[in-house]
Amino acid sequence: MNKDQMDKMSQGSEPKRQTAVTSIPGYTMTDRGPEVFAPLDGPLEAPVKVIEKGHLYMGVEEVMPEVDCAEAPASAGDEAISKTNVDRRDFLKLFSAAAVASSAACVRRPLEKAVPYVNQPVDQAIGIPTYYASTCGECAAGCGITVKTSSGLPIKIEGNPEHPLSQGSTCAAGQSSLQALFHPERRTAPGFNDGTRLSTYAWNDMYETLAKRIDGKKVAIFTGGSTGSRNSFYTDVLKKMGGSEKDLYTYESNSLYEAISEAHQMVFGVESMPRPDMRLAKVIVGLGTDFLDVGVSPVFFAKNFGNFHSYRAGADFGKFIQFETMMTQTGAKADERHVIPPSSEIVVSLLLMKSLLEKNVSGSAKEQASRILAANSTILSDGYDLVGISKDVFDHVAEELLKAPSMVLAGNSAFDQNATMLQVAAALINDMIGAYGKTLFIDRGWMRSPVRSGDLARFMENAGNYEVVFFIDTNPVFSVPQSFGFVDIVKKIPMVVSMQSSPVEMDDYAQVILPINHALESWGDEHPVAGFWSARQPVVRAVKDTRQAEDIFLWLLAAQKKSLGYADYRAYLYDKWKALMALVDVKGVDFDTFVKAVLRRGFAGKLETRPAPSVKEVAGSFKIAEVATTKGLRLLAPLDPRLGDGRGADKPILQEIGDGMTTIAWDSWVAMNPNTAAKMGFKRNDVLSVETDAGALKVALYPLPGLHADAVVINRGNGHAKSAGVVQGGVGVDPLVLVGKTVDAATKAPVTSGMAVKISKTGEIYRLAAMQKSHDIGNRTGIVKKYSVEEVKAYKRERSLDDVPDLYPALAEDEAAQYRWGMSVDLTKCSGCGACMAACAVENNIPQVGRDQILLGREMHWVRMDRYFAGDVDNPQVTFQPMMCQQCAHAPCEAVCPVIATSHDPEGINSMTYNRCIGTRYCANACPYKVRRFNWWTHKWGVMGDRPQDRMPRALNPEVTVRTRGVMEKCNFCVQRLRQAKYVAKEQGRLIRDLEVMTACAQVCPSDAISFGNLKDQGSRVSLDRNEARSYLALGGDPDKNEFGIKTKPNVSYMAIVAHREPLGTGQEGHGASHGAGRASAGKHDAEPVHGEAAPAAAAPESAPVAPAPEAAPSPH
Amino acid sequence: MLKSISMIHWLKIGLIAAVLSLAGHSQVAQAWWFWTPGDTVDNVGYKPEQPIPFSHKLHSGDRKIPCEYCHSSARRSFSSGIPSGNTCMGCHKIVRTDRDSIKKITEAYNNNQPIEWVKVHDLPDFVRFPHKRHVQAKEQGGAGLACQECHGKVEEMEVVEQGAPLQMGWCIGCHKERKAPLDCLSCHY
Repeated sequence: MNKDQMDKMSQGSEPKRQTAVTSIPGYTMTDRGPEVFAPLDGPLEAPVKVIEKGHLYMGVEEVMPEVDCAEAPASAGDEAISKTNVDRRDFLKLFSAAAVASSAACVRRPLEKAVPYVNQPVDQAIGIPTYYASTCGECAAGCGITVKTSSGLPIKIEGNPEHPLSQGSTCAAGQSSLQALFHPERRTAPGFNDGTRLSTYAWNDMYETLAKRIDGKKVAIFTGGSTGSRNSFYTDVLKKMGGSEKDLYTYESNSLYEAISEAHQMVFGVESMPRPDMRLAKVIVGLGTDFLDVGVSPVFFAKNFGNFHSYRAGADFGKFIQFETMMTQTGAKADERHVIPPSSEIVVSLLLMKSLLEKNVSGSAKEQASRILAANSTILSDGYDLVGISKDVFDHVAEELLKAPSMVLAGNSAFDQNATMLQVAAALINDMIGAYGKTLFIDRGWMRSPVRSGDLARFMENAGNYEVVFFIDTNPVFSVPQSFGFVDIVKKIPMVVSMQSSPVEMDDYAQVILPINHALESWGDEHPVAGFWSARQPVVRAVKDTRQAEDIFLWLLAAQKKSLGYADYRAYLYDKWKALMALVDVKGVDFDTFVKAVLRRGFAGKLETRPAPSVKEVAGSFKIAEVATTKGLRLLAPLDPRLGDGRGADKPILQEIGDGMTTIAWDSWVAMNPNTAAKMGFKRNDVLSVETDAGALKVALYPLPGLHADAVVINRGNGHAKSAGVVQGGVGVDPLVLVGKTVDAATKAPVTSGMAVKISKTGEIYRLAAMQKSHDIGNRTGIVKKYSVEEVKAYKRERSLDDVPDLYPALAEDEAAQYRWGMSVDLTKCSGCGACMAACAVENNIPQVGRDQILLGREMHWVRMDRYFAGDVDNPQVTFQPMMCQQCAHAPCEAVCPVIATSHDPEGINSMTYNRCIGTRYCANACPYKVRRFNWWTHKWGVMGDRPQDRMPRALNPEVTVRTRGVMEKCNFCVQRLRQAKYVAKEQGRLIRDLEVMTACAQVCPSDAISFGNLKDQGSRVSLDRNEARSYLALGGDPDKNEFGIKTKPNVSYMAIVAHREPLGTGQEGHGASHGAGRASAGKHDAEPVHGEAAPAAAAPESAPVAPAPEAAPSPH
Repeated sequence: MLKSISMIHWLKIGLIAAVLSLAGHSQVAQAWWFWTPGDTVDNVGYKPEQPIPFSHKLHSGDRKIPCEYCHSSARRSFSSGIPSGNTCMGCHKIVRTDRDSIKKITEAYNNNQPIEWVKVHDLPDFVRFPHKRHVQAKEQGGAGLACQECHGKVEEMEVVEQGAPLQMGWCIGCHKERKAPLDCLSCHY
């Protein structure tokens, strides 16, 4: 809007500041100027948000404008966008061309064929899904899954509800598994790669040729981690080929497995990783831990943590204290969060050990600990200064640990030189506080590491001895830091065989490429917990012409006349499972019956027990690698919570749900503390040159509150070569180029943090597709409520959430309906993992649109993950809020639809009828929650299209309509599931039972944060949740004060965050009140009423600080 | 074809023709609209040629084979199901094996090839029609409808043709009459 117009509009009043909030014309009747609409030729202004002290902020730029991106960004991405800008004349031209084309197409709708089975299986009928129990193969955790298949094709993955690890949930990666299975770029045939060309062979020829070529050669197998029978199988294969188990190498980028198991080997002399039972704990202290995102078993830990850290009706719940450098999603859930410098976890652990020793602790760990402290007195002497935390804090944490059953969890995926020593220290602390046997278990049902410690280093040493190396389901040329020279080692191997389920960089270095089955097409098992076996069975015949990796070896051996004696890998597995039958004491049935039962249930076993191990002599071998004592920027390159070490990068779902903390999708970014960035003169989206001794790269900046001032964080996972595929190729950067050749002394695992970094501005600007602002709900408040434990215990809500004064009487058909569907989201539990977004996308055929479209705000998520900060930018309180259609009883969208495409359903759902929609998008404008999504394109499925929005592997749910261009869509509470459940209930002459049907998001949630059900059933879980005092309606005001916000009467309610801390960002200190309208107008614009109905009285008190001085010693409470 | 077009339809066609003529290519469009084979406005009587000249009159009418003998999932699934090859072969391994069309089926079956039937009663993809809810008996909470109420007297048809308009107004009419759900989400999701 130009200056003249501005003046015209503000006639009669004082010249106003040029903010769009005040310049939206026609906002009040008195202020209406002659021009009602902004002139089309002027630049459109983005609304300027007025941020007040003490409030939530969606990005740090709201409280620190100095780090916000200033200039209009211009970059490669924008070119693509400008291509989509069609001016009016072009539009008319296109339109008339389209009219001609459409008239030519005005014939009968296309002929459709009905193709039946040739031989219909007895248990199959079209339209009735079949479920298979199996084990997820996306990481080595071994979660049990149930795969829904329709007409032989898998369409949805759920956690197996009986499985003790997944307990009915999966992570986002598990959900995206189908996209890997149906990936159009999967190879269809084996072949020889001569460097320029891949000559493909038929499988039988390949077996013959390859068997001859490798006969008598020295063979090694390098594979990804697994806890199951696979390792023993490969050992057997190697023995037949003339090798031994030493020729088998297992490698996972997540070296936490190695560090934890190695540490327990050192401390207790047994190989294990402790199995936590957080239900039994009252306090958890994290030493840089990130167990919810990338850990040993993220879903199992999230389930655990959800139990540990959830408030219900006055009951006490656990307290989580975290020391960390990065801002992880795990740390975001902490009640007390202490920010420590990069790579100082080991110092923190020693200081905590010291404080514990001063208390009355017992056990043999005490002696080891005191010797360790004595040996490291130099580090300890200035330790408090180094980590910037006073002794009082450690004393207080030690006190908390000893007060109640507790545990210490350590280590994250930005691997440190002292990673193993940190685990040793944590193990000693856990022993001192008596955690083993009470909350952590290594004597019954301990967790098992999928990898053998030190294998990577051993391989790099021995690689020269081998003539043939098989790389199975692993991509070390990408996931091992370049400075280790892994590529050179691989190049020297005479024959490299790459066996991958989808194409990766490893293939470029292989002479032979053998495409193998995806986990969903394979037989297998995992043994993640001692005594507990999880079975894997194929749920679909191989989609492409691939083979199971193990079967390939059986064929090769057969061709060499060295057969192992098994027809296929299944026979081998069954042989192994015979031992399992004895283990679980199954008697009186034959083996076939047993196997059928195992496959039906998905798992079997009986937790193994052993005598509780005692602490061994460890102090002598406790050696701390040099701890950086100087200040200065240091690199941390953690595994991305979704993309992992890069194996998730070719799945559009995982790229599109974005990072939980920054909400950036389809990209890499460098995260820095906002104050550091401001000091160095960097702004958001500035492309920075990041340099270390090992290398340099250019990447755009995202100032992330909560990071330590010295931390420079770049997530791994992206930065794949163009050759690695259309989806992942060329997306983002790989921070491993910055990583030097340092290793953890104990496990020889690559270190990916702690390198000194030099950063400078390049002058370029690159727009990061951060989604938090795509669907900005403006200055509305009352989105998030928070309480401290004391407040919530004292708080009694006076009226029911549904008791909203209303001019209209309730509709008779609403009253008569048997169901009123509702959802409740517990923000205390939600950790922002994004599994709900992934599950929703798979269930509801939601397309992924790519970076360019996201920059235009056109992402299609029906449920998005909003992330809010509050308080100090150096250590903020973080809130994750899944925001989906609130299913308002008084829906603003319904009133504005000119064709009644969206309407009120008597069962409480705000229905969206795609075929009625003419795409006016009025509803999206009207929606106060900004949850409606418009189809800007007709997306192509199952091909690798030219446009980024046409690159979705086909895994469509046949029960949900695929929407075309020009149609609005939104969450509909997975109505297809409701209908199916209702049909079943009606057949049986009953109502749907509670928890019988769940939406995809509620079912998948690893933290059990989402409940769904019938609000008319007073005993349903969702009713109980909704009636709990801390429940509130988003934008629903404060009913206790007779303020009802926008009175949309949603059927989705949120349960306020309860934590052992003083809540910030509630607008007022004290409990989360004052969510009335109009708070936006307060603060620096206090003289100007913005909203017509605004009452600026509810201003925040000045005392609530935006960025208070960092707390030197947060007081324990 | 044309004789089955009612006055209302003529009006509609006139309107569309008028719109199209405004767009400047009326001749082509009108000709296309009128003379597209098999096309009436509501598709009633649509009678495509099938790969096998299967006679419902013979099987269902004369031989009195119940509909659900072959369309076996009508009672338990959304889809009534087109019979699979082995259903045909259940009888035709021994019955009338000398007929050309039976030979064709046998050959396809032996080659593991499905027969691609042309859909007659074809709803748009945005409509969910659960056969089971309509076919199941009233005691089971179903509508207890006979197949013929929507599909016409298939047992009298030599070649199956569309028996009802299958348009939304037609659905709604019945739903109103029988007090079945009328909210959009019952069928559209």
